[in-house]
Amino acid sequence: MLEIRNLCKSFGALKAADDVSLTVERGTIHALIGPNGAGKTTLIALLSGYLQPTSGAIAFDGRDLLAVPTHLRPHAGLVRSFQITSVFPEMTVRENVCLVLQSVAGQARSLFRLAAADRAEQEEADATLARVGLIDQADALTGNLAHGQKRQVEIAMALAARPKLLLLDEPTAGMGVEESRRIMDLLESLRDSVTMLLVEHDMDVVFGLADRVSVLVYGKVIASDTPERIRVNADVQEAYLGDHELHGEGD
Amino acid sequence: MRDTHHLPFLLGCLAALLLLPFVLQATGSSYLISTATRLVVFAIAAVSLDLLIGYTGLVSFGHAAFLGVGAYTVGILSFHAYEDTTLIGLPGTLSGLVAIPLALALSALAALIVGALSLRTRGVYFIMITLSFGQMLFFLFVSLEQYGGDDGMMMFEGRNRLPLLDLNDRISFYYFCLAWFVLFFWFCTWLVRSKFGRTLAAIKQNQDRLSSIGINAYWAKLQVFVIAGVGAGLAGALSANHTEFVSPALTHWTRSGDLMIVVILGGMGTLVGPVLGTFLFLLLEEFLPLILRGLGLGLLSEHWRFVFGPILILVVLYAKTGLYGLIFPRRG
Repeated sequence: MLEIRNLCKSFGALKAADDVSLTVERGTIHALIGPNGAGKTTLIALLSGYLQPTSGAIAFDGRDLLAVPTHLRPHAGLVRSFQITSVFPEMTVRENVCLVLQSVAGQARSLFRLAAADRAEQEEADATLARVGLIDQADALTGNLAHGQKRQVEIAMALAARPKLLLLDEPTAGMGVEESRRIMDLLESLRDSVTMLLVEHDMDVVFGLADRVSVLVYGKVIASDTPERIRVNADVQEAYLGDHELHGEGD
Repeated sequence: MRDTHHLPFLLGCLAALLLLPFVLQATGSSYLISTATRLVVFAIAAVSLDLLIGYTGLVSFGHAAFLGVGAYTVGILSFHAYEDTTLIGLPGTLSGLVAIPLALALSALAALIVGALSLRTRGVYFIMITLSFGQMLFFLFVSLEQYGGDDGMMMFEGRNRLPLLDLNDRISFYYFCLAWFVLFFWFCTWLVRSKFGRTLAAIKQNQDRLSSIGINAYWAKLQVFVIAGVGAGLAGALSANHTEFVSPALTHWTRSGDLMIVVILGGMGTLVGPVLGTFLFLLLEEFLPLILRGLGLGLLSEHWRFVFGPILILVVLYAKTGLYGLIFPRRG
């Protein structure tokens, strides 16, 4: 599904991605972990096109991803959610999702259809909101929601784009236990339909969901294995303990 | 999108605008019909600018340039018809059926070029680059010696000719402009409620997020920039017909500033607001000097903007959504 080959990204002297090679198999949930500043978000930005790599190659679904412009990557099936919540605050929750749906339908610049008149679009939006458990907030202004709910909007928006590969940048960051649990259940239920690359700090989420875990430290992939073997990997323990960061600690 | 729910208010305004010439004639003040014509023409330009500033968050400071393109298209065609000369092998014309569509097409083209370049920038840079393009066009028109240079030129043949309608009759011309205004206003009402309108709102709220949901903000911005440019071009073409005179002053940056003031004064992000803003602006422009002179403040009446400025500041400080917000306070 996704194959990253020798990807490098430098910001001056800093190597945020240092010869990263990584394969995400179709139908898996692949977790990406690592201490703060390891380059996880940079990698997501490189994949989604917000940053251009210094060198290297990315193949997605059989095509050269780097040749696909940023705004066309979601249409190709590669959709991201943001670590720092990034929604459209003055729109209702439903409208946020509808905006994605109209983009998928190729109607983002359509003058011919009134936004409020598309019942089918709204029903699809509501169905997506029901999946993430936000249907009762559909008419609320997104800017007025609690933090955890905004994260749910993020995920609803990502799902509405009908992704083949979902890049989730800390989907449960800042969420309460119950909300976090709900998101985990949701991601679990999507396992069969969507491939996921999940950046996460919450080790309960990582080891609860992932089929495979890659560990990124200082821009390098130091290990890529099953969760069981990552747990006992000496290099990984060294990296985490060396940075005085223990398992299960969020930011 | 709030202002689309005031149908009774809009119909009331429309009825008032339709009846206005009769009222003015009955009260013996039919000279004000010309002011009313200015109002609807200027309102078209203001509403078009609000599509950019209020609905998309694009602060364009060169909008008057497209007024100029529309006006000069009509003016230059009229000039060659009068002189019976040609321009790049083509004759001039007085026909409104040619001049007005051509004015719209050329302002669309101008907006496409200006937009394609300036929309690559954002924020303050966008303001500065649109201002620069505006001034470039201003100096282009100043340099057109054949068409009067910085003095501008009279349209000696009068207004455009149309079948069935005599535009030289001031009441007919008022209704002609009013029809264009209503058409454009209705179109904008539709636009802001369309899916495209939703994309524009998204650009205004969180532009960086758009590419991650598969929307190229640049093309959407270019599309609205061209539409707004056509609106201003239409206002320019009507304005040239109205005054039977075109000059570079129409495209001066202060004219772009006036348009921005009108939009802010009236209420950004509403379609009714810029119309109200235009109304108040023209009212003050027309009567503030008279009032000041009446109060024995002759010096201020020459510099009426000296009084107008503080009024504007007060509106911006105390009425965040301008006149619109005063008339329709937000519920909740």
